[in-house]
Amino acid sequence: MISLCCSKKIAAAAWICTAITASSLLAAQPTRADAEKDPVLKAMLTELDRNMSQLQLKGFQKPFFIQYRVEDVEDFQTKAEFGASEGSQRNHERVARVTVRVGDYKTDSSGGRGDGVPMLAGLDGDPVAIRSALWTATDQAYKNALAAYAQKQAELKQVQTPPQADDFSHEKAIVSLADPARLAVDEGAWAERISRASGLYRSDASVSASQREVEYSTASFHGRATTTWLVTSEGTILRKSATDYQETFAAGTQAADGMRLDRSYVTSGTSVAELEPEAAFAGHAVDEIRSLSELRNAPLVEEEYHGPLLLSADAGADTLHALLAGAVTATRPRMGTEARTNGPFASSYEARVLPDFISVVDDPGVKTYEGKSLLGAYDVDDEGVPAQAVNLISQGRLTSYLIGREPVKDFPQSNGHGRAGISGGPRPSIGVLKVSAESGLSDDDLNRKLTDMAKERGLKSVYYVATMGGEMTPRLLFRIGADGKRELVRGAVLGDVDTRALRSSLEAAGKELWVSNFFGDVPTTVLAPALLLDDATVKRANEKNEKLPFYPPPE
Amino acid sequence: MPYKSWFPSSLRRFWFIAFAISPALACAVAFPVAAAAQQTAVLLDVMTTELHRAMSLLGNGSATGDDKQLSPYFLSYSVSEASYVSIRAQYGALADSSGGRARVADVQVRVGDPKLDNTHGDHRASAVNNLELPLGDDREALARSLWLATNSGYSSALDNFLRVKTEAQVRAKEEDTSPDFSVEAPQTHIGSVAPPVVVDRTAWEKRLRALTLVFREFPDVYQNMAVLTAQNETDYFASSEGSRIVTPHTQARLVVFAVTRSEDGMDLFRDQTFEAETVDGLPRQADLEAAMRELGKSIEALRKAPVTEPFDGPAILSGRAAAVFFHEVLGHRLEGQRQRGDEEGQTFTKDIGQDVLPSFLSVADDPTRTRFGSTWLSGSYEYDDEGQKARRVDLIDDGVLKTFLMSRLPIAGFGTSNGHGRAETGHVPTGRQGNLIVTSTKTVPESELRKQLIDEAKKQGKPYGLYFEDISSGFAVTTRNSPQAFQVIPLVVWRVYVDGRPDELVRGVSIVGTPLAAMKRIEATGDKSEVFNGECGAESGTIPVSAVAPAMLVSEMETQRQPQGTARPPILAIPSAETQSPLTATERKGDAQ
Repeated sequence: MISLCCSKKIAAAAWICTAITASSLLAAQPTRADAEKDPVLKAMLTELDRNMSQLQLKGFQKPFFIQYRVEDVEDFQTKAEFGASEGSQRNHERVARVTVRVGDYKTDSSGGRGDGVPMLAGLDGDPVAIRSALWTATDQAYKNALAAYAQKQAELKQVQTPPQADDFSHEKAIVSLADPARLAVDEGAWAERISRASGLYRSDASVSASQREVEYSTASFHGRATTTWLVTSEGTILRKSATDYQETFAAGTQAADGMRLDRSYVTSGTSVAELEPEAAFAGHAVDEIRSLSELRNAPLVEEEYHGPLLLSADAGADTLHALLAGAVTATRPRMGTEARTNGPFASSYEARVLPDFISVVDDPGVKTYEGKSLLGAYDVDDEGVPAQAVNLISQGRLTSYLIGREPVKDFPQSNGHGRAGISGGPRPSIGVLKVSAESGLSDDDLNRKLTDMAKERGLKSVYYVATMGGEMTPRLLFRIGADGKRELVRGAVLGDVDTRALRSSLEAAGKELWVSNFFGDVPTTVLAPALLLDDATVKRANEKNEKLPFYPPPE
Repeated sequence: MPYKSWFPSSLRRFWFIAFAISPALACAVAFPVAAAAQQTAVLLDVMTTELHRAMSLLGNGSATGDDKQLSPYFLSYSVSEASYVSIRAQYGALADSSGGRARVADVQVRVGDPKLDNTHGDHRASAVNNLELPLGDDREALARSLWLATNSGYSSALDNFLRVKTEAQVRAKEEDTSPDFSVEAPQTHIGSVAPPVVVDRTAWEKRLRALTLVFREFPDVYQNMAVLTAQNETDYFASSEGSRIVTPHTQARLVVFAVTRSEDGMDLFRDQTFEAETVDGLPRQADLEAAMRELGKSIEALRKAPVTEPFDGPAILSGRAAAVFFHEVLGHRLEGQRQRGDEEGQTFTKDIGQDVLPSFLSVADDPTRTRFGSTWLSGSYEYDDEGQKARRVDLIDDGVLKTFLMSRLPIAGFGTSNGHGRAETGHVPTGRQGNLIVTSTKTVPESELRKQLIDEAKKQGKPYGLYFEDISSGFAVTTRNSPQAFQVIPLVVWRVYVDGRPDELVRGVSIVGTPLAAMKRIEATGDKSEVFNGECGAESGTIPVSAVAPAMLVSEMETQRQPQGTARPPILAIPSAETQSPLTATERKGDAQ
């Protein structure tokens, strides 16, 4: 049994960091006895022991593995529209997820119904209440596991090719006890701040002249503190925590032809202090509002274009997130096949998937990048496995996958990337995905290269994507003339920007990395450079243009 | 007025199979509440101003300069502003405690004319567009939000009206050619604004913990939960016909569930609700704890009870059971809109003036009544959700069907509303129940009713009659969209033997045949009425209702055994059943360090 020393970890929020560093110097090796001082862990361990030793349906096998994960989520959200608050929500919930496995590490009950039961758990430290929720979920999970195991045994008899890997990996047990997280935000102040942000379209003198064109203007703040307790029958005892905060602004209008035009701005961090000061956020929001007017007046993009395309680092991060985040994870393939995993890189192990000047690594241990905190960072994953830095793509070749405790061929162990949303089952996921280019270019060099390519091919213009909206839909797209002049255009969608394009059409990449934090159920981060593609498609989206407002907004 | 149910949606489902974990319902910090009088003035004023602006500009062709559109002939804004507190406990511990404020607007747009409009037939739901409205008095923000909702509501109305007209051209003549919207006089009533809800959160959290702690005395209660929701709501209504209405509605509701499973795999549950205008009106803690204990005992008895056998014979419904029975089986079928439309059963459509119940029974729905005896009635209201004044409606007089529960959707023979158009926010109002009150002129003391049951069983040569002590209404056990929403599920049923043996509890009883048929065979009633307060879900959403009825003797009720699950009860005992906690591994080894 190894023990993770807390001092190795740099906790997300600064105040937690200080606390952990101080306490871990005194007690570097937490033990089960330390864990049992926490009433939640003590109740979990008591019920785990009781079920491991006693839970058995007559004539059936006992579980070989039980895991309890309890998540305490404190959540605060406030939203506003048109300059006034629509109200706030504060929730505090504790959700347990119980996983019971029968069979053995080679073949067990996992897959489908056998994968765990969620249950609402009490918020108090009352051990009987916590154990009662775990007890009822364990009973249900065990019965589900028995049924799933029987079904899997039957399915295995239907196929000739045996599974390519074990069902469950052996991992070293750890004991790691980080301090719990609490949500501390000034709720009233945020509600007011958000109200002001949503009213900038009419209160800011530089944009208020166009206020009647704005069809919606909303702002929101979301803060979340999560404490996770996890115990397994293998001896792992884990308490970890995370805090995430996000402020968003969004506004929209329609062009004269009815086309919907939307802009939004988001900042996030692992502490409130990392969010932008109000004035800076307001400045960005006003820029977005101003860009709506520019977009309204922008011409429609040409019908179809094939040629060089430059994606800013911001747009590059969104694009790489869409194309790579799912592809680099390894999940169990369909039974009876010889496949290694699923998805676009299922058969790409050791093959070239990117140009040789690009490397990709996922390292959840990186907490900040150029002073910006990374939401996707963590120390131990949601299966109790310490996070590892994984070199996924080296000089363009796929050298590894991100994996949890569900092995695939050639990857018998977890690399600490089994992650779960609240009450959900673990799945391999990126943490902090960093895409970097060897001898990357500056923005100026990239732009120069783009216009050079235009000249070489005799193109009148080329395209530059500043920001993306939905998948493959640019929000700010510029046509760049032979003279280098930029013109904003609207109504475009990108085509042929896929994994094949990344492999064979990626001409160059930037040296600066953009930090894109994704505040999802499972927070993730992508660090990515600007991307210059040799050949991509830009064409009209041809979305349905809705009617303009039937009558003018109120004075 | 549109009611917003803050009751956790996860609990409306068949919750004991697995607690559905849904994002917790909206909750919030308290915002400073401005002077109530001023809020009324600003909100209602903005609603009225924006409504008239929309009516004057929509469809006049000058707005956007393009093709001429139809003008709406009716527009209404219905705003529900609620402050609420929700507390939930289970297994003796707090599971959730939240509270907040929200303002929701329903915008109703009608184009065409009252004879044929965008709400015709299947398009009815398209009449309402729903959105959250800013809190507070910011006129610009309020007006902009209403403008946004009116725009999309109008767009949807135009689209639906076009389809209604096309469909009208291609289909055969409808059976019921009533118009789509009744003509009614505008109403003005500026009532008081409900004060923000006041609940001592800490005290109630403690009380709810204590209530669920009682179940530790009953190790066979596998899951338990107590939920308190208290809500103070003010409803604002303005329409293009000139109605301006402000009315308050307050409600506190405590619901307790307990669940078990019998050895043979039958899921069994009991629930109990307590309702009052405010939390102060709920029963004392000692009384509630006593009720929990009764619930626990009943669950454990039920678990051990023998399974029912098919039976066709006399039965008594307790007052509470009869109230639920009448609400579900009769009340819903008397909703006006069920007499119109091809998909409807139209059970009573042709029965006006006919005997539908024994002549000693009468049924009225009276939302103007706020109490029955000392019990508060949760289905009371002053104005319905279409701005019509609430009124008592005598549905069945001396067994003869007189009328239906009417919204502004006319049906053949009934052209106007009788103040029963009700909806949850976001839904188009339909004819719904408020306080359904069943009265009888053939009453006997309940001991006599029991004697009559035994006599009737003997006459029919049956060894026993049945006593239905508790029936669950469909809402508690079905999904909101489930087709079996009006089903009744017997929870506690006793065999009353003719030979003097003690009464015997049975489980797994389900009523077969049309329950309606049983109503015609009511022989007599008890002399005391019982109140059932609850929430009722149907097409127009979940709304608070009450039903009041005396116990009833039915000469013939056909029952059979419920289909049951095959899942086994829990393998290990519930943790609270252990006399002491088993030692943890560390403690056993004696090396606590």
